[in-house]
Amino acid sequence: MTDSQFDVRLRGAIREQMPALAAPDTLRQRVRAAVRDAASESRRPRFMTARVKRWLALAASLAVVTSGGWWLGVSRATATALADQVLASHVRSLMPGHLTDVLSSDQHTVKPWFNGKIDYSPPVPDFAGQGFPLIGGRLDYVGGRPVAALVYGRRQHIINVFLWPVSAGSRAGEGGGSASRSRQGYHELHWTSGDYTYWVASDLALPELEQFAELVRRG
Amino acid sequence: MDPNELERFEAVVLPHLDAAYTLARYLTHDDHAAEDVVQDAALRAVKYFSGFRGTSGADGRAWLLTIVRNTAYSALRSAPTQGVAAEVFDEEQHSASGADEDPSVDFDRQETRDRLRDALAQLPAEFREVIVLREIQDLSYQEISDITAVPVGTVMSRLSRARQRLKRELVRAGKEPVR
Repeated sequence: MTDSQFDVRLRGAIREQMPALAAPDTLRQRVRAAVRDAASESRRPRFMTARVKRWLALAASLAVVTSGGWWLGVSRATATALADQVLASHVRSLMPGHLTDVLSSDQHTVKPWFNGKIDYSPPVPDFAGQGFPLIGGRLDYVGGRPVAALVYGRRQHIINVFLWPVSAGSRAGEGGGSASRSRQGYHELHWTSGDYTYWVASDLALPELEQFAELVRRG
Repeated sequence: MDPNELERFEAVVLPHLDAAYTLARYLTHDDHAAEDVVQDAALRAVKYFSGFRGTSGADGRAWLLTIVRNTAYSALRSAPTQGVAAEVFDEEQHSASGADEDPSVDFDRQETRDRLRDALAQLPAEFREVIVLREIQDLSYQEISDITAVPVGTVMSRLSRARQRLKRELVRAGKEPVR
């Protein structure tokens, strides 16, 4: 082997042992969201923090556009208020560093993480085999109570699943109801099944999101 | 940043996230640290984008990698347990052998590949980064010089020293009996 042959082979071996890597999809999503966030922050006046301003803007736009009535079994006002909270939580979760409290694709890591944080142990299925990998979980606050939020991915898209137990008193009224709505480019699906009330939010195209919801329904 | 600038940023800089992640991952040796470095670097890039004068995709890549590299080094400096390139490359010790030895090395041998992988991981960061930029990302000496803020001559000598060190490891592997 001559020196130059050696160099060629060394080069090949280096490439093999130190391959170019692909940025994970979740990272792309995070970076894209963070960049847009930073880009819009940099042109806002500074007398309020950007985040507070964004919250006020979001609340105002929701207050103006809210309408409802698809929500079966729950009063229109209650359902709309919940849908707004779910949307706000979803949007907030996409801001840098807010997506997960427990980052794991292992359902047996995510499920026990909720122990001692909420008074129920939510079902945490993984749909990686169907193209919706579990990304992690998060504690959120919706409808006046701490709730479990499960985070799933689909290519570059993030899906939030909020779920909490159906309260005994309202079960008859809520049972089996399902609904959807779209706001600001995000879709929300809602249903109750078994013991849980579900809310799903994502910017994923509606047919795919419904496909995902069907997986969740079947558990 | 106005929407047009954001669009330009997304077109010029964001296509290079793979390259950014590759560099960050090989500098930090850690998946999560690499992701944080890339995200921080992207945010810094947004901030400084008005000063970016490049036009081509290659310009965007070199520019982003410069920021990734600086971000990675600041992250590593602030990390409590990890030090980067704390080990000083001992040229006296390493330059003597390698070049003179018969470079007949069996690259197909598992032993050889393992040793090469370990040697790459243990290269001091300033050598590892030139290997990543040159061998993996195919950047020119000039681009590497811009990114690492050292003269082209230094880039070339670091590359050759890095290769020599790897060569020495491989020749040594070849002399050991197969287990």
